[in-house]
Amino acid sequence: MLKSAEVSERISGLREKVLSTKPNVCTERAMFYTQAYAENEEKPIIIKRAIALEKTLLGMTIFIDEGELIVGNQSSSHRAAPIFPEYAVDWLPEEMDSLDKRSGDAFFITDEHKKELVEIAAWWKGKVLYDKGRALMSQELRDLQDSAIIKATGNLTSGDAHIAVDFYKILDVGLNGYLDEISLFHKQVKRYEQDGVRKDHFYTSLSISIKAFQAFIRRFQELAMQQAEASTNPERKNELLAISNNCQVIAEKAPENFYQALQLVYFVQLILQIESNGHSVSLGRMDQYLYPFYKKDIQTGNLTDEFASELLESTWIKLLSVNKIRPWSHTRFSAGGPLYQNVTIGGQTTEGLDAVNELSFLILHSVGKMKLTQPNLSVRFHKNISETFINECIRVIEKGFGMPAFNNDEIVIPELIKLGVEKDDAYNYSAIGCIEIAVPGKWGYRCTGMSFLNLMRVMLASMYDGLDKYSGKIFYKGIGNFADFNSFDELYKAWQHQIKFYAQKTVEIDTAVDTAIEEYVPDILCSAFVDSCISRGKTIKEGGSKYDFVSGLQVGIANLGNSLAAIKKLVFEEKKITKHELLQAIESDFEGKEGEKIRYMLLNFAPKYGNDDDYVDLLLRDAYLDFIVELEKYHTTRYNRGPIGCRYYAGTSSISANVPNGSVVPATPDGRKAFTPVAEGSSPSSGSDVLGPTAVFKSVSKLPTEKIMGGVLLNQKLTPATIKTDEDKEKLVSILRTFFTDLKGWHVQYNIVSRETLLAAKKDPEKYRDLIVRVAGYCAFFTNLSPDTQDDIIARTEQTL
Amino acid sequence: MIFNFQRFSTHDGPGIRTVIFYKGCPLHCDWCSNPESQAFGPSLMYDRKLCKSFGDCLKQESNYLSAGENGILIDWASVTKPEKLKDICASRALTVSGEEKSIGEILVEIEKDRSFFEQGDGGVTFSGGEPLSQGPELESLLEELYKLKIDVAIETSLYVSWENIERCLGRNINFLVDLKHTDSDKFERFTGGNAALVLSNIKKLAASRENIIIRVPVIPEFNHTFQEIKEIVDFTVSLKAVREIHFLPFHKLGSAKYEMLGMDYKYSGIRNLDVAEMAEYVVYAESVGLIAKIGG
Repeated sequence: MLKSAEVSERISGLREKVLSTKPNVCTERAMFYTQAYAENEEKPIIIKRAIALEKTLLGMTIFIDEGELIVGNQSSSHRAAPIFPEYAVDWLPEEMDSLDKRSGDAFFITDEHKKELVEIAAWWKGKVLYDKGRALMSQELRDLQDSAIIKATGNLTSGDAHIAVDFYKILDVGLNGYLDEISLFHKQVKRYEQDGVRKDHFYTSLSISIKAFQAFIRRFQELAMQQAEASTNPERKNELLAISNNCQVIAEKAPENFYQALQLVYFVQLILQIESNGHSVSLGRMDQYLYPFYKKDIQTGNLTDEFASELLESTWIKLLSVNKIRPWSHTRFSAGGPLYQNVTIGGQTTEGLDAVNELSFLILHSVGKMKLTQPNLSVRFHKNISETFINECIRVIEKGFGMPAFNNDEIVIPELIKLGVEKDDAYNYSAIGCIEIAVPGKWGYRCTGMSFLNLMRVMLASMYDGLDKYSGKIFYKGIGNFADFNSFDELYKAWQHQIKFYAQKTVEIDTAVDTAIEEYVPDILCSAFVDSCISRGKTIKEGGSKYDFVSGLQVGIANLGNSLAAIKKLVFEEKKITKHELLQAIESDFEGKEGEKIRYMLLNFAPKYGNDDDYVDLLLRDAYLDFIVELEKYHTTRYNRGPIGCRYYAGTSSISANVPNGSVVPATPDGRKAFTPVAEGSSPSSGSDVLGPTAVFKSVSKLPTEKIMGGVLLNQKLTPATIKTDEDKEKLVSILRTFFTDLKGWHVQYNIVSRETLLAAKKDPEKYRDLIVRVAGYCAFFTNLSPDTQDDIIARTEQTL
Repeated sequence: MIFNFQRFSTHDGPGIRTVIFYKGCPLHCDWCSNPESQAFGPSLMYDRKLCKSFGDCLKQESNYLSAGENGILIDWASVTKPEKLKDICASRALTVSGEEKSIGEILVEIEKDRSFFEQGDGGVTFSGGEPLSQGPELESLLEELYKLKIDVAIETSLYVSWENIERCLGRNINFLVDLKHTDSDKFERFTGGNAALVLSNIKKLAASRENIIIRVPVIPEFNHTFQEIKEIVDFTVSLKAVREIHFLPFHKLGSAKYEMLGMDYKYSGIRNLDVAEMAEYVVYAESVGLIAKIGG
């Protein structure tokens, strides 16, 4: 339980309730969708899906829990994951019996639900997105995915998302405003034209969906009223009446105050996650679009900061109660089951002024108090950002739950403008999901999150004339074997040759996936809330959005640079290791004393990314650019269909995908053992950055950041002692300023090193060489300390959450 | 000779600093936390935990290295020319501390974090060992840094000839002066040095209007009594030109390095000092008009 001094008893209770709930599986949505599809088989898919959403919103269980101030539920109980059979469902009967035994993200499921799921799965056989998408792919693309060099399974087993909708407009015009706009355009449809039929159905589906949304809100209006009438507690009665009144207003009109605005925002967020199960549905710049409501209410005395904070905290708990069940194959890529519902605060106004306001502080502090995994809080940094605000951010970071993360206006805004984004839109970008970025309400899906490319498998294939040793297949014949190469240059050319092929293949897979999603699972409500879908009469996937830039994820960045540098230096320049020795070592996973020695030479005698060493940093930059330059040649399926852009850029926001991606990579020339994790995002390989945070910042900033608009993810570890005093905090802020203002870094997020990490470092020093102990006039790494000194530091480090 | 460039140092002068650790010190304090800094030449260090018994070191050097049961045995008294063992050991159990660096090489290292210095009064701190015991090249380096407008601090015991100090002056350097004790007998017993020379140098330095902060390592059995600290504080006040004093509580972070160097650590049985134990020293220093801080 949280301390009562920090939050109200109500919030503490609601939080505890959601946290202590064991997630189960809810079949209601699956039943309604299956019925709707079965009863309307002849209808166009878009109408079918509108009816299915309507049926669900009208029929699903709703509830208002004791003490709740913000209402709305995704499924029949807290944290119960709804099922989205239209994407993929085969896996469920298969994994059903082991769901509660998973090592992470376990779900409970009753026998009755199991029976229902078996029936549902049977009905959907051959009809789901996963099967249809796979059928669109050539055998080669299916083989590539099965080999795990390119992974895109998650993109066919669920919806797209990675999007934020236009909350400014939603709060401005209200849901009736959308109905008016839809009807206006619907009237203009020319049914005699080729495209007229499709547009006609699109507008019909939009209006069914918005009306269903309104009806859903009205159900809460009535439920709150019933509960108010039944309540014997006068205080709670008043709260319920207020909830009922809120729902009555926002079911139709624009919200009148902060409370209603927040409730509507939450409803939208919720509905998007009932319509589709794509994750990273984000809330955009909440401190900006809610600010006018907040300010007015504070000025008129209708709102206190205490109550505003309680409402925000209620919303965070509500965000946590939304859940998603993924197949185990995909769960491994997203440890901890997060939905990455991002809230972005700070940044600049469209005039370039500091946008930090009182609400930014309230949001920051309320998230800090709750210490939950949702929302994912991002702060937009810029060179004139309020000093007080940044200092407060550091205080929240000190709590050790990894938030807030920082994104940098100084690189994002100018680069967006260069890509063709209008200035006002560029200044209004927000983080989406984790660290990626888009302009809320104007951008299509998946500013990141297209296919995952396993760079180290490609690098290894370039050493074996194109042979992927792991799968035993040659996907693309190479230009020779490493054993026959006489210079590093030959290896490098082999890399360039292979990576071009794989870059194209990622786009081929994405194209098949996009085609299938467009055709079989169009989102309707989500399209309504994204500019300019309504006026164009198109879903987002058909080219309805104003902008369309996407990115896949490249995994194993640091390993790529370190491997190339090790070969260049130790094999070709210093000749400390022969080609034969290297091959033997990696093929045997560094077996035997000789193998182990080669491994240590690779680890210790070659430069490592993360230490501000141009030798490896520039090599990595060039090798990554070989991929990026190729990728930039391709377009998305929306090209020439409306949006600005329709292009790909690179991305490294791969979250925990470094673990499963590593699990399919044999030993690599950077000294990494077979099947162990590869490096995460753009961060240095674990334990290889031994010169501290400034050197890491320098290395990361040498990547071609301006071309990695899908995100340059950097996680840094901080020992709690590093930011203990105010002076320490100021120094951390000072290096952040340099990283963002001068070096144009993209992102950084801090993990406070826990007691557990220090214990692990004591046991396994090799992996934690980056933990530095800093005391005046003294230098050492944690792993070099004597065991009793280590114990002393461990004893002084607090247990984490 | 330099044994470490430490970037992002936050307790050795204002702002973000790169600390350059020089090797070689005329003192050998019993509590020294950087024992590898004491010898003026390169030092061999052996971390048994990391040893994988690859045996490459034995092939390179058989006079004072031999195979042991768990790793290697080192006849420390016979160690000569350890530099030939540099980059021999793949697991980095056996390393050589200390490398000659040209001014150009040092400047390259300093440049790397220059953008971080500029955000908040940061710069370079020379530490050691004793940076002022280095040859005349330190002066050339200081001159270069002065021209480049990079902030410089020097951590020093001032246990060097006045000429070595004098040639650094006039470049707006912050001197972080280690004042360990005012009593000559105790100073000599624990550090092997002469307090009178240190005190006289401090007085001269103060008289030459340089920026000085006095840093007092508070060490059990050596100066950890109110009376002894009071004398150091009173001396500091008497200098007039010095306004700031830092108390650095004794810690044993360096203990493992003694073993790696084949040296005895006389303070192994002594406990670390707590920040709280510095409180009365801070109170006293402030009462006589100094700015007092714990830690750097």
